[in-house]
Amino acid sequence: MTIVLHDANTIRLIGTCPADDGEVLLQHLLANPQAEVDWRGCESAHAAVIQVILVSRRPLRGPPAGPFLERLIEPALRRAGCQVPPSPRGPEVRKR
Amino acid sequence: MNEFLEQFLIESRDLVAQGTDDLMALAENPSDRERLDGAFRAFHTLKGAAGIVEFGAMTRTLHAAEDILASLRSSEEPINPDTLDEFLTCLDLTSRWLDAMQSAGEAPSTAEADADNMIARLVGSRGAAEVAHASAPGDDTWVGRLSVAAGSHFTEYRTALRYIPSPDAFFQGLDPMNVVAALPHLMTVDVVLTDPDVSLETMNTFNCSLEIVALMEAAGEQVRAALLNVPGKVEVRELASTAIRQSEEVQTNARSLIEAQLLVLQQSDVDRSVGRRASAGRTAVNALLYLGRSELAANVELAIATTKAENSPDPLIAAIEQALSGTGQPERHNNSPTAPVVPRALRVDMDRIDALVKLAGELIVVKNAIGHAAKLVHENEDPRAVIATLREQHALFERLATELQSAVLRIRVLPLRSVFRRFPRLVREIAVSVGKTVRFITEGESTEADATIVDALFEPLLHVLRNAVDHGIEPPEQRASAGKPAMGTLILRARRDADTVTIEVEDDGGGINVDRVRAVARARGIATAESLTAMSDAEATGLVFAAGFSTASTVTDLSGRGVGMDSVRTAVERLGGKVTLESQAGTGTKVGLMLPFSLMMTRLMTVEVAGQAFGLPLDNVVETTIVPRDRIVPIGAGRAFVLRDQTIPLIDLADTLGIQRTDTLSRSPAKVVIASAAGQIGAIEVDRLGERMDVMLTPMEGLLNGMKGVSGTTLLGDGRVLIVLDVEEILS
Repeated sequence: MTIVLHDANTIRLIGTCPADDGEVLLQHLLANPQAEVDWRGCESAHAAVIQVILVSRRPLRGPPAGPFLERLIEPALRRAGCQVPPSPRGPEVRKR
Repeated sequence: MNEFLEQFLIESRDLVAQGTDDLMALAENPSDRERLDGAFRAFHTLKGAAGIVEFGAMTRTLHAAEDILASLRSSEEPINPDTLDEFLTCLDLTSRWLDAMQSAGEAPSTAEADADNMIARLVGSRGAAEVAHASAPGDDTWVGRLSVAAGSHFTEYRTALRYIPSPDAFFQGLDPMNVVAALPHLMTVDVVLTDPDVSLETMNTFNCSLEIVALMEAAGEQVRAALLNVPGKVEVRELASTAIRQSEEVQTNARSLIEAQLLVLQQSDVDRSVGRRASAGRTAVNALLYLGRSELAANVELAIATTKAENSPDPLIAAIEQALSGTGQPERHNNSPTAPVVPRALRVDMDRIDALVKLAGELIVVKNAIGHAAKLVHENEDPRAVIATLREQHALFERLATELQSAVLRIRVLPLRSVFRRFPRLVREIAVSVGKTVRFITEGESTEADATIVDALFEPLLHVLRNAVDHGIEPPEQRASAGKPAMGTLILRARRDADTVTIEVEDDGGGINVDRVRAVARARGIATAESLTAMSDAEATGLVFAAGFSTASTVTDLSGRGVGMDSVRTAVERLGGKVTLESQAGTGTKVGLMLPFSLMMTRLMTVEVAGQAFGLPLDNVVETTIVPRDRIVPIGAGRAFVLRDQTIPLIDLADTLGIQRTDTLSRSPAKVVIASAAGQIGAIEVDRLGERMDVMLTPMEGLLNGMKGVSGTTLLGDGRVLIVLDVEEILS
């Protein structure tokens, strides 16, 4: 599984999330209106997944594991209105 | 080289030729859909072949070209000549890659960079038109949005992109994120929704409603190339101000920096400047690297080492000067093949092979007949009857050998078309670069010649054509005032006369200015004032073939670098041919290349000296004659005689070759062969004149390779080795 509902407050994106994960993520978000998205384990995500995150504007816990996501997409999502809480950087966070 | 690769090379060359033909035909008639289809197929198949041998750079380049061709096929628009030119350049590049693969067995190291460049050009040639209608007026807010995203760094970036994937992009298996991630030198990305009112409850996750904008530190063409196959709305905007800064200011600064290093090198005194030289060299290398000219930088780097080793700044100065002239012309067209002519596989018509098979069969019949005759002799049959049989078989054998020879020759024969078809575009390019218009006509493309000759003709011909366009044909204004049409005419013509293939390059330009030739020849020390006044105009004109002659008062990129017509003459003579020149002031110049049809056969005349036979190439023999001893007079260290009012120096072949005569025939009249080579005439005294024969000459190899006066050997009927003399070396 690349999208995991950790608890009612966290939906985790793990590894490489394909296009179908867009729908999975959407269902999780709809079912858990309070949940935030944690993509610290996410290597890469299909545009369909990014699009759902963008629409949801849920808090996004990062930084993501993939360098492209971290360097370019996270700042873009922040500018687009997603709440990206500052998070401590450390090896335990950047699980691969 | 493995068989696989060999096959790839053969096929690819055919496809390049085919593609070139189709493209040239398209240039003539842009609406010819069949030719367009043909070109598309050629590119497509070439791409496939490159994929099989895993030549990535070639696959990539041809794929880009194929995509553009495909879109041209589906559109009704006429094909833009610039795009067509880029396709041809692409095939040229492919051809150079094939040459490199042929000689090195692998793809050249520069292939990837060449491919990037070529793709950018291909896309650029088309992109210009596309961008024009893509960047519809009005909506420029996205650029503004990007500037906010990039903050204060905005001005440093070169290309902005707005990319709106089609709504069904996800269904097509496309990930726009991957597209963006693959963009070159990506600096900033911004992602927004095309419909800001969409909510989780109403959204369809299978519909793409993203708009992505990005900033890249890459040229517009590169970005367009990366997005070539991407469906959706793509808008590429080059940020002009920065582009200009890059191309002009940086170029100028770097150039003046390199020029300054050149000055340092030229001024520095010898003994204490080793370190300074090296540092000047390094600075130049860095400047070149900054300009992105890594290949020139590598040259200079090499020269630093040479300079150090030789303790002389000259190699470095030369390398930097070369680099400087190189930086002025960023898109260098290197049309000459990377390697000298390499023997390569030949495609042969099946009919020609069948003819050989048939001949082989007949030869075996003759072999059996001779065996039968030998058996008859063995069985004490009447010798006269056996002799009759042998004579008959010999006649048959002779006929078959001759047929075999011509059949083998036909295998090695190629039409000149294979080299001629490369010229129309090159001539057009040359003409454009010197601001002239030229009508280029080729005649007799189907004339055939030995493959070796056809392959070696490209360079000398290109040189002659360049000269004709650059120096021969006058600028349009000058032509108009001379009452000629503004457009010059250049004819490349080939024909076969017996064993000679004649190729002519004729222009209707200003002709060669004989007075200028005389003046330059004197100034360059090619001929003395006295000999120049003694020369006829035709002889003086011939001086343009002298080494180091170049009349162009301005050195252009094209010609006039001091390697003028003499290089053409050398190349043609190496093939056993000769060059002629006819010029008429005001009406034009005609350069003729006379080449042997085949390199394989040499016609010889045998002569005998001190009981030993030697061969003289019949091409060099003017006549044979007998001269009475009393007509031979000593002149200086040598001897000479007068024949039809011409004094001819006499060379004793035995003396020249250092052979001791056992008997002295000195009282009988002298038998002489009058021979000419490289414009010199001389008489060679021999003891006996022999017969004529056609032979296959084996060149000298190994230790004997450098032997003077000998051009090769062949076997005589009685098994003796016949040494064939090099008349030119004997006369000189």
